[in-house]
Amino acid sequence: MKRGAVMSEQAGEGRLIEACQRGDREAFRELFEAHKDRVWTVALRFTGDESAARDVTQQVFLKLFTSIAGFRQESNFKTWLYRLVANECMDEFRKRRRLIPFDFFRPASGDERDEDCGAIEMKEWRQEPLQEERLARLEISEAVLAALAQLKPKLRMAIVLKYFEDLSYEQMSEALGCSTGTVASRLNRGHKALAQKLAHLRK
Amino acid sequence: MFWYHVRKRLSAYLHGELRPEESRRVAEHLMICRRCRDEYEEIKFGALMAARLSDDLARAQAPASLWAELEGMIEGAGAPRRRLTPARRPLKIALAGAATLALAFGVFWFYPRAPRPGWDVTRIEGAPKIGSKTVGEVGKLRVGEWLVTDDSSRAEIHVGEIGQVQVDPGSRVRLVEAKADEHRLALARGKMQAFIWAPPRQFYVDTPSAVAVDLGCAYTLEVGEDGQGLLSVVAGWVAFEWQGRESFVPAMAMCVTRPRLGPGTPYFSDASEEFQNALAIFDVAESGSDARSNALQTTLAKSRKRDALTLWHLLARTDGDDRLRVYSRLAELIPPPPQVTPEAVMSGDRAALDLWWEKLELGSAEWWRIWKGPVPSQTK
Repeated sequence: MKRGAVMSEQAGEGRLIEACQRGDREAFRELFEAHKDRVWTVALRFTGDESAARDVTQQVFLKLFTSIAGFRQESNFKTWLYRLVANECMDEFRKRRRLIPFDFFRPASGDERDEDCGAIEMKEWRQEPLQEERLARLEISEAVLAALAQLKPKLRMAIVLKYFEDLSYEQMSEALGCSTGTVASRLNRGHKALAQKLAHLRK
Repeated sequence: MFWYHVRKRLSAYLHGELRPEESRRVAEHLMICRRCRDEYEEIKFGALMAARLSDDLARAQAPASLWAELEGMIEGAGAPRRRLTPARRPLKIALAGAATLALAFGVFWFYPRAPRPGWDVTRIEGAPKIGSKTVGEVGKLRVGEWLVTDDSSRAEIHVGEIGQVQVDPGSRVRLVEAKADEHRLALARGKMQAFIWAPPRQFYVDTPSAVAVDLGCAYTLEVGEDGQGLLSVVAGWVAFEWQGRESFVPAMAMCVTRPRLGPGTPYFSDASEEFQNALAIFDVAESGSDARSNALQTTLAKSRKRDALTLWHLLARTDGDDRLRVYSRLAELIPPPPQVTPEAVMSGDRAALDLWWEKLELGSAEWWRIWKGPVPSQTK
């Protein structure tokens, strides 16, 4: 995106945030529409569970709504949002761990798929020219998702933010509230753990 | 050389998050330390797998019902607290307006005068020139400009912050692109030696008949007056690409590229002279001709186990009976995995070829395919 377009987008978002701070419900709806897929994606890829992702997304926007008046425009809004999502995901993980085992990243079987928002439904997959190739990729990606689900939460969140949201180490350090060195260390450990869990795909 | 182990920095190196000098130290250390290199391979594989997810899964769409549910929760939560300092807002708005105007004025005033991006050049010997100006001790090569060395001149180009290129006598080099994610030179003639410490696919060299794509390495590239090029890799890997034809050249291997034909078949520099001569004939001879068939026969007959690199590339450059001959010889040298059947290879099944590649012990096929995004187009 060109620099001018980015600046104009930021200016537009700034106005939207100001309107939200004045209590403008329509503006909040607009802000929600602009960021809901971003929040949902991180929550879904982290929890692997639609019901947990729904709870996380709702809590994130609820917190956003109640605390946006305190948001200062000199901070980066997206980074703040990622921080809310990351914290909420960790809270959700802790909450559910106390209740039942977290059924991470279980691929939805035919009957269980929700038409609105399947975790890894076929309709989410990008178009591939060949059905066989598509199925092979699906199989590998399911294995990767399953491996991702087994990572420790902090490592998993680092991988999700890096690969699904394409954040830099600096952005991740702000979102996760840690140093860039810690981000690097978590990604290192995450990569190694994935490689070990998926070693069978190497040959 | 950097003797401390670099394991903790490997993901940051892979993602291009290290400072240039740190990145260079890691690259240098990886060349000499087997332990860290093995760990790097593991991390790259993990990264490849993670990247695969983002390639395959589009951004998920939040359920449509979320807003209605959220609205109900908001009703219960009440309106957000207003700011405590409303009196300052008009002043802030005025200041913001003034700042915007100043920024717009600044952009208008400075943009047309902004210099084109460029790289530093250091004279090594003689009198290298940038355009018509002789380079003193140092100079600046800007996008679109030519660096020319005569028979007694030599210069060094600092490739942004990712590497160095030594330009030998009798060379013409143009800076094509100097972006953070695309560093590109064009070598029209002459010889250059590149040492790049950035992660792969950030440095490209256009030649008249192929693009050399750096995959993390040190190499020499020569281009003759007739446009023919020769690539010799010292460390790491280089991909040579042209119109969909590609050659992957590891350390100690070479590859010729020819106008209208593109990259030839790579070979190790210690292959026998007969092997190299036959391969050269095969690369240029007309498809279906006796000369080509005979050259292939000699190439196969003179091949050693180490020449499996060449034979693997030949599978994609032959068809029919010729491909079957290559298959048989390569199978003698490096037995294929059970899944790699003659039928799969004969049909050009990429997955089967990749599986066989893994057996060559030259590095994982996935390793370099992770970088296999679209190559920016040749000389602009």
